[in-house]
Amino acid sequence: MDMKRHYYEDVQLFSSGVIVFWFAVLMVFLATFPFFFKNYFVYVANYIAINIIVVIGLNILVGYTGLISLGHAGFFAIGAYGTIIFMTKWSLPFLLALPLAALVAALFGFLLGLPALRLEGPYLTIATLGFGLTITQVIGKLELFGGRQGLHAPELLIGPWHLDTDRSFYYLVMIITVILTIFARNLTKTRVGRAFIAIRDADLAAETMGVNLVLYKTLAFAISAFYAGVAGGLYAFVLRFIEPEIFSLMMSIMFLAMVVVGGLGSIMGSIVGAGLLSWLDLQLRNILSLPYVGKWLETLSASYFSITGVSNIQFILFGLIMVLIMLFEPLGIFGIWIRTKKYWKTWPF
Amino acid sequence: MIDFLQMIVNGIAVGSSYALMGLAMVIIYKTSEVPNFAQGEMALVTTYFTFMLLHTFGLTMANAFISALVFSFFLGCLLEFTVLRRAKEPNILGMIVITIGLEMVLLGFVSWKFGADPKVMPFPISPYDSVSIGDVFISSLELLTLVVALFLMIVLFLFFKFSKLGMAMKATQQNNTAARLMGISTNRMNMMTWGISSLVGCTAGLLIAPVTMQPYMMWDPLLKGFAAAVMGGMTSLPGAVFGAYILGITENLFGGYVSIEFKSVVAFMIIIFVLCIKPSGLFARHYVKKV
Amino acid sequence: MKRNGIWVLAVVVVLVSGFSFTVAAEEGVTDTEIHIGQWGPQTGPAAPWGSVARGTAAFFKMINDAGGIHGRKIVYHMFDDGYNPAKTMAGVKELQEGVGIFAWASGVGTAPGMAVRDYLMERKVPWVGAASGSHHWITPPEKYQFATYPLYYNEAMALCRYAIKTLGSKKIAMAYQNDGYGKNGVEGAENELKKHGLELVAKVPVESKDTDLKSHVMKMKKAGADTVLLWVNPTHGITIMGTAKAMQFEPQWMSVSTLSDFPLMYKISKGLWEGVITGSFADLPDSETPLMKKYKQAYEKYAAKEERWGIFYYAGFGFIEPMVEALNLSGRDLTRERFVKEMEGIKNFKGIMGTLNFKPFDPNDPSSRLGTNEVFLIKCLADGKYEKLTDWMTVD
Repeated sequence: MDMKRHYYEDVQLFSSGVIVFWFAVLMVFLATFPFFFKNYFVYVANYIAINIIVVIGLNILVGYTGLISLGHAGFFAIGAYGTIIFMTKWSLPFLLALPLAALVAALFGFLLGLPALRLEGPYLTIATLGFGLTITQVIGKLELFGGRQGLHAPELLIGPWHLDTDRSFYYLVMIITVILTIFARNLTKTRVGRAFIAIRDADLAAETMGVNLVLYKTLAFAISAFYAGVAGGLYAFVLRFIEPEIFSLMMSIMFLAMVVVGGLGSIMGSIVGAGLLSWLDLQLRNILSLPYVGKWLETLSASYFSITGVSNIQFILFGLIMVLIMLFEPLGIFGIWIRTKKYWKTWPF
Repeated sequence: MIDFLQMIVNGIAVGSSYALMGLAMVIIYKTSEVPNFAQGEMALVTTYFTFMLLHTFGLTMANAFISALVFSFFLGCLLEFTVLRRAKEPNILGMIVITIGLEMVLLGFVSWKFGADPKVMPFPISPYDSVSIGDVFISSLELLTLVVALFLMIVLFLFFKFSKLGMAMKATQQNNTAARLMGISTNRMNMMTWGISSLVGCTAGLLIAPVTMQPYMMWDPLLKGFAAAVMGGMTSLPGAVFGAYILGITENLFGGYVSIEFKSVVAFMIIIFVLCIKPSGLFARHYVKKV
Repeated sequence: MKRNGIWVLAVVVVLVSGFSFTVAAEEGVTDTEIHIGQWGPQTGPAAPWGSVARGTAAFFKMINDAGGIHGRKIVYHMFDDGYNPAKTMAGVKELQEGVGIFAWASGVGTAPGMAVRDYLMERKVPWVGAASGSHHWITPPEKYQFATYPLYYNEAMALCRYAIKTLGSKKIAMAYQNDGYGKNGVEGAENELKKHGLELVAKVPVESKDTDLKSHVMKMKKAGADTVLLWVNPTHGITIMGTAKAMQFEPQWMSVSTLSDFPLMYKISKGLWEGVITGSFADLPDSETPLMKKYKQAYEKYAAKEERWGIFYYAGFGFIEPMVEALNLSGRDLTRERFVKEMEGIKNFKGIMGTLNFKPFDPNDPSSRLGTNEVFLIKCLADGKYEKLTDWMTVD
């Protein structure tokens, strides 16, 4: 069942009927989700979906090509600001502004990829970090982008539909997410994807085998920047108001953490990692309202710690979860899944 | 001319605190090839611990500072022992994420215990006194930081180059298995590395605390220190320090003559530029990879 | 059998009626409860401002203990948004759609507030007393949002006018945070200076992430300023002063009401803050007015032991005073429309902040939704004590 005999078996999107079935179930669930859950959950789903897009893009760069980037908040910002500027100043429709802004982000990704050709490890990290910070600073200074006052997202009209509720926006976000995920999945199975993996494993050997390092490394940056740009454009409409402070270093760090915790080099892993960490990010503030745990934490705070800082427990939990997942499975959540699958493969013997 | 000199002196002054953080990061990187993002928060914990000693337990300043140094050493060793060592088959990214997670936990603890209001750290030297050389001023605290940074740099450099322990640490980084075969206990080396690095971070924290003391105080020095260490070469101790000074001086000169707004932007641009020319940093030896 | 059946029916009827169905006449209002929410940065770099939300908690507890509002207790929902607009949105949506919030109180931060403003206004949810003097809240004015924080623009004007007229300053420089907060201040200062034929000799932008401010101080020193306006956050204010002292540059320092917590500023600046003149939007902490004394008692009763009696804490009382007043005036028949009408009718209301006046809503008149533009000036004395320099004044 796992042995592939044909090239096409390796490349095909659904490797068996079972997977097609579950995929169909998933699609049905996603399509009917907003009708069974409250609007708040739809908002959370939008937020998670946007993070999924970024993380899948980042995974192509970090997991498949092995290049670290701490500057993706910058591309995210370009996508967000670009979409709004194109829609307001140039009056482009949303469906045109979004890809255009993402392409601008991809261009900057390409530019970042050029110095990255010679760098690796912490050097690359700092270069990308510097790049991300620079973009945010520059956007913040230019009055064209509203400066530090921030920008309001305009009304969102696509054809005859006026998307102004979380629910209607959800469908847009989901469609884009599914398309981009399938695209990424297919990308990893083609020669471009294999070139990326070759670069990660041994880039000099890859070059001797004919993989053009310049082309593929910059392409990896450009693609992941494109994804981040698309996600940024969508984010501007989920939040309806953006300002430079939002796109901070912390955001880049969170993206990287989501990739690694989810599982490097695995699309499913990115989805789970992004989903888990963004959900935690939004929900951990409610830790104090949990029935028993909340009360216990409050009494603990009052006696040993400060009650004013009690909400900081979210950080502690968040950090702990990250550390524990990485300690137990360096391959992230996807690694845990693989291990479980392998364990049960030969059950009950 | 005076302004120019003042800016240079300002750059050196601010570069010293970056240099200390850079040194701490390089020490860990030299031994385990992991950039430690939790560096700042380890220093933060030690600083707040000192604050607690001074306020709640009423120790004298000398006692408190010495206890702080000891505590920081043990904190570093403890973190390495309980967290870093437990990672199975770690890859670089996994370790980075672990340090990021550690950073959040430590920051959360400090904020939880002490609250978010800024605190006051008693210190023998006031950060507002200054020493003047002609018309150029430098605050006494910064002068002290400068002296400490240079002193530590020399001590650590000599330690790594000439002492047995230092050489053992370098060996651990260069080839872990060979080091173990030669009888070096790599586990203990890693632990001591973290301890020493935490010690250096602690001095940085204590020297920053008199100026500003609130839970987020170490973020900027950590970032700049990391950037400086990268520019100078992650495996070179003098490199980190000189990188920090170059960074500080460039920032201040740019801020003074061109534009204050883009000060930090230009700092990173310079670093990217330097990295383009010398991919392993200014002072480090570029290890050529074999296929 | 039949008798038992009647008894059973009677018991059921009694039980059912005893459940006292709380019919919600309006979202967030039941027969016994009013739901009010607030977001605040309890964590993150802006955490010192989290005391505003905690102050409101004590305020509401005080009101509930005194009997509530027309027989209804205020149920207060406070959540931490870490100054991150995405989290603010999440929290607001969750509470608004889950529990159902009648109105929102205060809320620290321009960016977090702006993120949720459209959402709240579309749903016609009242929002009173946003904790920031940004002009975003009133340009354009919205029917359901009432601002009670005096604009930074006018405060800057007040400070500059005092500097020029009373202190005789000739060369005024300004260090401002590079965002709406700082820029509003710069506009106000420049406006006032222009009236006197002057200009800012230096205006230096400060990034919120900067820690090294030597270049900024040098620029102001080179310009030879005799007065410097600090429109930054407290930590930066102290850093600038400290750096300036080390460079032996000692002008007259002036600052904005967000740095008016003198005991705190004095302590963390190790005494440097003495002599600084700032604006203030609320009564002083040691004030003996009956309202302040009452609030201080509430603080002593309800606040956590490490909470400080500082201006941000009791600002959590002050921003919400008009809201409670309007709730009281609305009586038992509490709806949002009634509440808004009562808010509009507030005239010459004096709590612990400036005198509040609202007007019926006019989309072209920002002042219909800006309650007060009054500030007064104070000076820091030794040990963080206050000296009142002027009385409440409105500056145009």
